[in-house]
Amino acid sequence: MLDTGPSRQFQRSRGSASAGFVHRDGQTRLATLQQSGSAKAMLPRTHGPVPEVVFLNTSGGLTGGDRLCYHLDVPEGAEVTGTTQTAERGYASPGPAAAVRVSATVGAKARLNWLPQETLIYENAHVSRETNVELAGDAICLMVETLVLGRHAMGEAPGHARFADHRMVRRDGHPVWAETLRLDADSLACGGLPALLGGARCFAIIALIAPAAPDLTDRVRATLVEPGCVAAASGWNGKLLIRMLAQDGWPLRCQVARTLRALTPTLPRVWQMTGA
Amino acid sequence: MTDPTDALRLVQWLSPAFPIGAFAYSQGLETVISDGQIKDAAGLQHWITAILTHGSARTDAILLAHARAGADLGPLAIALAPTAERHTEMMEQGRAFGRTIAALTGTPQPLLPFALAVAHATRALNVTTTEVLTHFLQGIAAQLVSVGVRFIPLGQTDGQRILAALAPLITSFAARYATLPLADIGTATIAADLASMQHETLPVRIYRT
Repeated sequence: MLDTGPSRQFQRSRGSASAGFVHRDGQTRLATLQQSGSAKAMLPRTHGPVPEVVFLNTSGGLTGGDRLCYHLDVPEGAEVTGTTQTAERGYASPGPAAAVRVSATVGAKARLNWLPQETLIYENAHVSRETNVELAGDAICLMVETLVLGRHAMGEAPGHARFADHRMVRRDGHPVWAETLRLDADSLACGGLPALLGGARCFAIIALIAPAAPDLTDRVRATLVEPGCVAAASGWNGKLLIRMLAQDGWPLRCQVARTLRALTPTLPRVWQMTGA
Repeated sequence: MTDPTDALRLVQWLSPAFPIGAFAYSQGLETVISDGQIKDAAGLQHWITAILTHGSARTDAILLAHARAGADLGPLAIALAPTAERHTEMMEQGRAFGRTIAALTGTPQPLLPFALAVAHATRALNVTTTEVLTHFLQGIAAQLVSVGVRFIPLGQTDGQRILAALAPLITSFAARYATLPLADIGTATIAADLASMQHETLPVRIYRT
């Protein structure tokens, strides 16, 4: 007899990491650091005044049922950059979605730069990610998300991956930017169509949520020149969004870095943009 | 039970002839026709299908259904606008729709994005949300067909063929989107959103979006 019973137990990973800061006399210092399970948060020494929190998922990737939480508290007047140590990987998952929750609170006159590295979606991955940012008063948030479909060197083009990526930025409790990217077998099957992915295998979105963000639209458009990328920007109502599509990851990474440099003086050191 | 007169009012309010300025907006379709990515009836039908299945039409339909049931979704709908031009389009169409409804019914209408303005006005009609969504989605499809007919260009009959071919899709989506939770909102039309952004800097533009 074949063993067809529900005997396989998958190892689920759990991780939660959180960093909070205090801002006094023009200096921003770490106040609280909590980490559990597979999530780590590190603060490498930086030369600038902006603390950089590097999150790491030590489980090596996301599979069904995993739960991963990252959180940042940026107090009034402070500026903090958050990033990830490496690209996050969504692996094949037969069961429920891996759940990723990223959240941040940003006080008045404060600024969060949430600049994680790419998310790689492999065939049959099942990932649900929520990024929630709560801004107070005139707080500023700069965000990027880069998504890469499949391992290109192996010729992989996921046809059955499921990925839902929710983003919500609120100011004083009111939604100011909301977006959910939802990829599934049907949208991936039509990915060549000019309305969906336009045949691209990687894409990025950069968002600057700030009262004066639309004033930077022309400056950002001047950066959208990287060969191998199609990109455009739009600024209105206290936000500036930049969308990018590419066939390959490297030109997109160069374009993302080039555009971010117009919006923030320093990129996270772990990005390792040598040569770009 | 649907009231036959209300059903007819619904058709009137969501017909392409209702003065919401629909003819002025292409939702980025002008960009991809200009650059040759869409050059025939098949390409146009694929584009519209994608907008209905994975794009802004789906999002707006889900918002409409929940707003018609009483939810206050104005800030969320505005936050979900993917580009400046889509924001302009939903607000201007909502304004024009509300103004005309107020003139016809004598009831002042709040300023809301188009989908929510439709939700607000049709609360007064004895029709089902599925019926509202059927005509709402048909209206979006008809708007995009008219862009293609004029700008690709295609024959009028080609345009009507596309609408006829989309009818089964529109009716099944209307029934489905009437039941989806707000958490199911989500799009995969990344390139359409990008085309809408590119439209802002097209050197020659016929459409406002």
